[in-house]
Amino acid sequence: MSHERNRLLSAYSLLVYVFLFLPVAILVLFSFNDSKDNFAWTGFTLAWYPILFANEDMLEALGKTLQVAAVAVIASTLLGTLMGFGLARLRNRYAGGIAETLIILPMVAPEIVMGLSLLLFFAQVFSARGSLAQISIAHVTFCLSYVAVVVRARAVSLDPHLEEAARDLGASAVGAFRYVTLPLLMPAVAAGAMLSFALSFDDLIVTTFNAGPGSSTLPLYLYSRIKFGVTPEINAISTIIVAITSIAILAAWRIGRRRADGRVVSMAA
Amino acid sequence: MNHRHDGSSIDLERELVRYMVERRVSRRQLLEMMGAIGVTAALAPVVAACTSAGGTSPSPSAAAPTAAPSSAAPTATPEPTPLPSPEGELLIYNYAEYMDPEIIKQFETEHGVKVTETYFDSYDVMYPRILAGNSGFDLTFMTDTDVPGVVQQGLIEELDLSLIPNVKNLAAEWVDPEYDPGHKHSMPYMWWTTGLAYDTAKIKEDLTSLKALWDPRYNQHIMMLDDQREAFAAALIRLGKDVNTVDDADLDAALVLLKEQRPLVRVYSGDPIGTFKSGSIWVGQDWSGDIWTVQETRPSVKYVLPEEGGVRGSDAAVIPQGAPHPIAATLFINHLLDAQVSAKNTNTVYYMGPNAAAKEFINPDLLADPAVNPDKAVLDKLQELLDPGADLEKFAKRWTELRAGG
Amino acid sequence: MRDRLGGALALPGLGWLALFFLVPLGFILIVSLGDHDRFGRVLLDSPSLDNYRSALDPVFLRPALNGLRYAAATTILCLVIGYPIAYWISRYGGKQKTILLLLVMLPFWTSYLIRTYAWITILGDNGVINSVLLAIGVTDEPIVLLNTDLAVVLGMTYGFLPFAILPLFVSIDRLDDSLVAAARDLYASGRSAFRHVTLPLTMPGVVAASILTFIPAIGDYVTPDLLGGAQTTTIAKIIQNQFLGARDWPAGAALGFLLMAATVIGSLAVIRTLRREVLG
Repeated sequence: MSHERNRLLSAYSLLVYVFLFLPVAILVLFSFNDSKDNFAWTGFTLAWYPILFANEDMLEALGKTLQVAAVAVIASTLLGTLMGFGLARLRNRYAGGIAETLIILPMVAPEIVMGLSLLLFFAQVFSARGSLAQISIAHVTFCLSYVAVVVRARAVSLDPHLEEAARDLGASAVGAFRYVTLPLLMPAVAAGAMLSFALSFDDLIVTTFNAGPGSSTLPLYLYSRIKFGVTPEINAISTIIVAITSIAILAAWRIGRRRADGRVVSMAA
Repeated sequence: MNHRHDGSSIDLERELVRYMVERRVSRRQLLEMMGAIGVTAALAPVVAACTSAGGTSPSPSAAAPTAAPSSAAPTATPEPTPLPSPEGELLIYNYAEYMDPEIIKQFETEHGVKVTETYFDSYDVMYPRILAGNSGFDLTFMTDTDVPGVVQQGLIEELDLSLIPNVKNLAAEWVDPEYDPGHKHSMPYMWWTTGLAYDTAKIKEDLTSLKALWDPRYNQHIMMLDDQREAFAAALIRLGKDVNTVDDADLDAALVLLKEQRPLVRVYSGDPIGTFKSGSIWVGQDWSGDIWTVQETRPSVKYVLPEEGGVRGSDAAVIPQGAPHPIAATLFINHLLDAQVSAKNTNTVYYMGPNAAAKEFINPDLLADPAVNPDKAVLDKLQELLDPGADLEKFAKRWTELRAGG
Repeated sequence: MRDRLGGALALPGLGWLALFFLVPLGFILIVSLGDHDRFGRVLLDSPSLDNYRSALDPVFLRPALNGLRYAAATTILCLVIGYPIAYWISRYGGKQKTILLLLVMLPFWTSYLIRTYAWITILGDNGVINSVLLAIGVTDEPIVLLNTDLAVVLGMTYGFLPFAILPLFVSIDRLDDSLVAAARDLYASGRSAFRHVTLPLTMPGVVAASILTFIPAIGDYVTPDLLGGAQTTTIAKIIQNQFLGARDWPAGAALGFLLMAATVIGSLAVIRTLRREVLG
């Protein structure tokens, strides 16, 4: 009985992966398309890759995007984890309700409202006209909530006795958190970080209004050029990102397999 | 550092401040220049200014690669004031693919200026940045009819026409535009028409009328522009009205016509080139210059100006208020008006410029194409979309109603 | 003591949100009370609630419902598609769990625009699906897939799937297998064990996944704009138009706030109900 379900479930999961990778397969394929655009396949060529490497503007934009994403992920994961965990611990319903609303609000706000509000804020208060720093702050602001929500969900189902037991055995509050709670929260923290990265990497509207001259990120660069056709250069850069990430994942897997069986390496507690 | 050659002392700080004020250079930019080119080079003109007799205007700015202060030695006969050199950088804010990158490189080499282009995908995104003032950009573009309003608000700088000798290349009709007499604040860049584009592979007959956009035979293959003025213009022209009318009855009638059309429309596209290239559209509203770009992928697409009429307009280059490098921007405008530069731009971007002298260098196929370059008789029948001022509200409200599906 | 610790931990994050979210939002709130001039500048000389009154106009009802429909469909699809795969990775992933999750995220580390254009290539009139259908003779005219409700929901579901899968996984992974085994031992059927043991225990994950998909989906502007058409206008697009096309920031701001208020109240109500109902 469990075997059957296993096979059905496995087949289903494979389908989901196919669904997830279908556009990726298309975009990789079309990076070799011998035509200026992405709408019809006309022939095979490798020409777009050298063109991509000569395109300093796009590579620069990619670099800036990664810079911003790094800052956004680190800051939002840190603050968001604390926030999510803290929220889970709050017993006071009144305070909890307010905190929960405050956390949800950034997700509710239409992006144009968030983008323009930050534009106004930075222009009026700091006389700033947009910069990578401003973009980074904006990204942290919307990523925070996602991390908090994910961590909170995990924190809520943690057995509070574990922490108490650690304290009883002499651990300090910080120590209990570091050695007991945090490892148990780790999957949620990692999930939050991954989501933050995806959000920051792809952000368009909020970034549009907080970018200044010379602080164009990849989405801004692409969106402005997309009006005139998506040349396969853009596919090429995405293909390279996929390739690098896949290799990294593969490497991590290999390293993981080589570890002694005794150590539990998986993400679950 | 405090003694002149003639023995009197100078106040370096005061000279620095004077230099900065005259050049409209901020302290930070001065420091950057010093860092980039070396303190001596940056201070050379200041020193030169100090040492020149009578304190005339400072010699070439430090940003020029050759920092030789040319007015160092006072001569018996007064030299003509040299043309100021551009600052080291230029920040342009423009549509992507609306300017040939090679003409930019040309400018960079000729003047030793580093040009950075930042792109927007629509003027709607550009306006809030410029409206807020101190956008940080030196040069941007906007629809010609918006220029008077922006001038009134003091949001763009006046042009130093003495630095734009190429203005002599302008065709007669552009010399004194209605929207900016004497082009004191803007310079025409490219002009275009809005008409009908259709795929001859899918539509076998010759289309000549706007009615094609309402033809149920093309259900789900019709495209309209995601632009309230352009969409209403199509309806108003069909009704024989002025595209700039603010009469409620006229606008209501246009709205009714557009609502009739809506179920047939596949998309109100902000990306007409991409939409046409994708092949899902057989007929749609589009701008003249887009067609050659679409034809690169889909050569069967044709452009016509409907018999009922159409729209024409132009984009103008302007210098936003507070531009950090106004001289570079002005010189760039001059560069754009050079005959060969303008022609190269047109040949790449497929839009016609206002440049009469450029005509001999423009691709003759482009010149001959009635879509891209209609003759005057045709142009005179087209209407321009003027700034409705506070009445924009009337269009906006009805456009919202149309798009909301009510 | 708990409360104070909890509060203290949450404070830095809440402080950040207060400074960089609430304060800027306050600026926009002020804008919503003002009026605009012909250039799109905000005039604050006679603040009023007029914009809110105009925002309650029934013309906005249909796009609001559109936004709601798409968000609801997307959320349900994401939960339905995401739960089984999150379950599978947790129960059968073994040592490869992390890799399997990273594989879920991998497509989302390419650029969003490129992925969406890939969907256009797949769904377009001359796209992959239609080419195949025409080639095998199922139909002789391309089927209109792009620029429809279907394309929008498909695109949005695709985009939000990892936002559902990850929190679901995190919660499911926490589940103690022995509880399910105990339920089965006590003669519960597979379905019953799921309903009464697995689902309630993984509810926090379901709630988190719902929040992370539904709420942002209502405000999603770009996907419906790229994949949708003339008939799929959402409230997010209308708001965007108010700010940019109509240059009427006060109207856009008022509409935005109403949307936010409705979403927050609605979501919190649903969440509380879910928690109460399922967790008993």
